[in-house]
Amino acid sequence: MKNSHPAAGATRRPQTLPTASGLRAPWFSFGPYLVGIALAAALYVTLPAAIGPYYSRIVIDCGIAMILAVSLNIVSGMTGQFSIGHAGFMALGGYTAGMITYYGSLLWWGTAARHGGFLGAGDWFFVVACVVGGLVAAAAGYLVGLPSLRLRGDYLAIVTLGFGEILRVVLQQTDKVMDDAAAVRASALADWWPPPVGGAVGFDGLPKYTNLFWVGAFLTVTVVAAYRIKQSSIGRAMLAVREDEVAAQAMGVDIAKTKVRAFVLAALFAGMAGGLFAHEPGLIISPKDAGFQRSFEYLIMTVLGGRGSISGVMLAAVILTALPEFLRDFEQYRLIVYALLLIGMMLLRPQGLFGIHEIWQILGRRGKTAQESEA
Amino acid sequence: MADFVQTLITTLEIGSLYALIALGYTMVYGILKFINFAHSDIVVLGAWISFTLSSWILPAIGLDPHNPATPPPFWVGGVILVASMVACGLVGFLIERLAYRPLRNAPRLNVLITAIGVSLLLQNVGQLDFVFGPSPQKMPALLPNWSVFSFSFPSSGGTHEISIGLVDVILFVTSAVLMLGLEYLVFRTKLGTAMRAVSYSPTTAALMGIPVDRVVSFTFVLGSALAAAAGFLYAMKYPGLNQPAHTIWVLLGLKAFVAAVIGGIGNVRGAVVGGFVIAFVEQFGAYYVSSNYRDVYVFALLIVILLVQPNGLLGSPVRDKV
Amino acid sequence: MVPGESTAELLRAENLCLSFGGLKAVQNFSFGLPLGALYGLIGPNGAGKTTVFNLLTGVYRPDSGEIRLAGESLVGRKPHEITAAGIARTFQNIRLFPDLSVLDNVCLAGQLRASQRLAGTVLRTTHHRQEEAAVRARCLELLGLFDLRERAEMLATSLSYGHQRHLEIVRALATEPKVLLLDEPAAGLNFREKHALAQSIRDLRDRFGVAILLIDHDMKLVM
Repeated sequence: MKNSHPAAGATRRPQTLPTASGLRAPWFSFGPYLVGIALAAALYVTLPAAIGPYYSRIVIDCGIAMILAVSLNIVSGMTGQFSIGHAGFMALGGYTAGMITYYGSLLWWGTAARHGGFLGAGDWFFVVACVVGGLVAAAAGYLVGLPSLRLRGDYLAIVTLGFGEILRVVLQQTDKVMDDAAAVRASALADWWPPPVGGAVGFDGLPKYTNLFWVGAFLTVTVVAAYRIKQSSIGRAMLAVREDEVAAQAMGVDIAKTKVRAFVLAALFAGMAGGLFAHEPGLIISPKDAGFQRSFEYLIMTVLGGRGSISGVMLAAVILTALPEFLRDFEQYRLIVYALLLIGMMLLRPQGLFGIHEIWQILGRRGKTAQESEA
Repeated sequence: MADFVQTLITTLEIGSLYALIALGYTMVYGILKFINFAHSDIVVLGAWISFTLSSWILPAIGLDPHNPATPPPFWVGGVILVASMVACGLVGFLIERLAYRPLRNAPRLNVLITAIGVSLLLQNVGQLDFVFGPSPQKMPALLPNWSVFSFSFPSSGGTHEISIGLVDVILFVTSAVLMLGLEYLVFRTKLGTAMRAVSYSPTTAALMGIPVDRVVSFTFVLGSALAAAAGFLYAMKYPGLNQPAHTIWVLLGLKAFVAAVIGGIGNVRGAVVGGFVIAFVEQFGAYYVSSNYRDVYVFALLIVILLVQPNGLLGSPVRDKV
Repeated sequence: MVPGESTAELLRAENLCLSFGGLKAVQNFSFGLPLGALYGLIGPNGAGKTTVFNLLTGVYRPDSGEIRLAGESLVGRKPHEITAAGIARTFQNIRLFPDLSVLDNVCLAGQLRASQRLAGTVLRTTHHRQEEAAVRARCLELLGLFDLRERAEMLATSLSYGHQRHLEIVRALATEPKVLLLDEPAAGLNFREKHALAQSIRDLRDRFGVAILLIDHDMKLVM
């Protein structure tokens, strides 16, 4: 127990903070990342042969959806900032990554086809492109996060919606894709605005690098990072901002920094997922992928999964991505079901299936309820 | 010059419609302090109900519902307008009763999410085959194609004629009547005073004996009725009815929302002002700058207003009590 | 001069004024809080006591007037900066974080001076681990002040009312304040609990050397 002697100008020296410097980490800190990547590699090698291309595609879709749900959860579930333009970040990242791989490939290798095999030069180029896409999206996240400092829930929602819709309209006005390497080399700066990413038709012709391994790898990074953030001071601050901004401020939390940070992080992961999305075989990224329809898909995953629960939203993402595939016949009812689900959840269980807790916490807690409440 | 006048006329028309829709947003926000996302879908619903009604009534009086050879008598339009307003008022009532009232004391975010759910529900139920169907339809002309006023402007290649048709006049007049009626209701009747009291403080109003629940229901009914009128009038002027997923309608509602915010959300007169401001920005921006980015202007204006003067042109700041 | 006080004024408010539209909530309010003092702020309901707290903690900005902590002006600073400078508070209506555990509520305040680096968090560096552990340990100790240690993992709202009030105080203490503002800390407590709380508050002042300003209606508690 500390004792301080009252003295003039009492400077309370803070507890001695640890001296370990910089980024030194024990080896086991990297464990979860490595395990995840190894799992991703194992799946990549075994799964497509086992379940065929159609189901592999569904698994990839689920993986990407999980990244987007977890990223939205950071800003919406954990920090309580209602963002319904999340798809905008994804699209921004996807288009950026696409421009890099597509035009980069044209310039360096003369063709926009996939280059090199698994973990070859093309693959790493793709990873870099995704990361850059994420960073661009993160910058947008910063800009979108700034209004959150002054606007309450519904207004902020409208601004985020506006962001997505503006982006969609802007993307629709873009130029046709240049498909000739020579033309690209000869192009002037003016040819690049509006960006030649295909307009309303979408950005076609991208080298399709996305596979189970990369999806798994990015998913691992996202989930481990998100979980560690949640369990740490940063996560606590985010949750406090969600629960009660005034009290959080009074306890020393810089709510502006926390909110903006949440937006930036969410946008970063969403942007990288966008890169994966754009390069998925059989899929063409188009302007409507920035719009509200798509943002809504991710919103409902976070509402269903639980506000703050990482595993909860992952589960919701899988359910809401895979189930429609198997119920294609009922496609016209899908959105109606979602709408009813949304209304029903808000009326009956607004905290989502798992609330703030992770799935394993709920299961473990079953045995403890008796001891919990106090008279 | 001719184009300027045409743009001006369109601005006034569209502005009236935005104003009617914005009034619904602003009244609900004033009373319940939340943005009713589903409001724009009531506009769409109003238009589709009008279409459906006209496809029932016209054959009953011997006219082809898709292309009436002669314009039907005036009362047809009036009946459809009123019926549509009543029907949408009912829908508004039900939505409030079933989806929003149970959440009266819930965190605002929850109500917002519910509103999104209701909005999606309305959009997609409307597209079901046994309701309105997913295909675009065309609203039959319920009014004769008369030209009431006509201006001629000299321009290169002869004179340019701008005509204001009966449709336009009816649109103006109906909107004006509705807006004036609302102004009277809100500021000169006991019911209006009750509405304003509830918007200041529901608890105090309740203590004063005002039936808050009924006032809230009435507000929703009123807002929805106005939205239906806007939908009907829009369909009269621009008869191509697409399903909401195909843009025009949702944007109509969204822009009206921007209008409400710009005028100061919660402020009835502000909504009207905002409607015309938005129409002005949109139409003149589209004409003089670029029509491709028409929607962007409006959203951009919204973001600017929210950041600079979030209480809108006629609103006033409110502090959070700690 | 009461034993434990010194002549140096730790917190000084000068001619604070605040109006809400036409309502003058606070008019020319001045006071000085010496080091180690335990003062009460009394007045009828609606007098503006909580508003003064809100002014001192930066929730509202005074229309005019000055607030100084150890000589430094606090007017215009953000609430979290003021807390970092050394003023902490509790709330009239308990404002704990309902979805966080008892310990997390305190750690949230206790992590005020931790570096909270993103890279460190994501990689779980040694520095990060040590910081988090240190914050946790210190907050657990603080919980011990009011016998809340065993309840550390419980949800904050599952505590009894009296314990919740205690938790709010612990939470405020975790920010290592120089000045502690307690807003009706004994509201809703029974006679015995109030007596115990009064003693605890005196103990806190002695143990941590923190100056305390408290609002309450119960004159006996204030005395």
